[in-house]
Amino acid sequence: MTPELAKIFAAKEERRHKLASLPFPEKVQAVIQLQEMAATILRSRGKTVRPWSTSSPRRVFDRIGV
Amino acid sequence: MKRTIEVLNELEKEGVFYRYAIGGAMGAIFYTEPFLTFDLDVFVVLPQAAGGLLSLVPIYNALHARDYEQKENECVVIEGIPVQFLPAYNALVEEALDHAQQIMYENVPARVLRSEYLVAIALQTGRSKDRERVRILLEQAQLDMNLLADILKRHQLEEKWKQWTE
Repeated sequence: MTPELAKIFAAKEERRHKLASLPFPEKVQAVIQLQEMAATILRSRGKTVRPWSTSSPRRVFDRIGV
Repeated sequence: MKRTIEVLNELEKEGVFYRYAIGGAMGAIFYTEPFLTFDLDVFVVLPQAAGGLLSLVPIYNALHARDYEQKENECVVIEGIPVQFLPAYNALVEEALDHAQQIMYENVPARVLRSEYLVAIALQTGRSKDRERVRILLEQAQLDMNLLADILKRHQLEEKWKQWTE
């Protein structure tokens, strides 16, 4: 493995651990963000999905820099 | 989700079910990084109906009275979240519910199945997505390996554990 690749994998691992350590309500918001991202793709394949609707702010991935 | 949990707490308080805990994907996410799911699985201990049958109908009726309607896939959308109720269907799930941990979700009490029981239930269920769930819990949840070993032994899941982790 090249040093560059090792660095990328280490950063990915760090990001995953950062996400795992978020408070549960933040993780729920991240799940909703994932649902919104996936919904467009799934709908284009004919699958009906509905992201959860809550009033809380989302954009968890933006906020924690991932 | 806060309001959804409040509704679950109300149903428990009213005796519609004796005890509930979040399990499935959202239960796992409590311990791991977030991943894609569209359901909230809620395990419940139901009062036994006449004739000894366990039925989810009283839950659906109680929710209907609050204007939450059951959907085609057996989910009920409670405050924007599709909730899938699962009765405690065997000894492992009953035990998992007994040992569920109390959490606070934005100042509202809730219960989540312990990570060791989520692993055991995933092993017992045995689908490919359960295998992935075991892998991620093993990697990211801080599992009590002694407790897990005890659960796996008592529920005859040691062989499956070996198959999935070796």
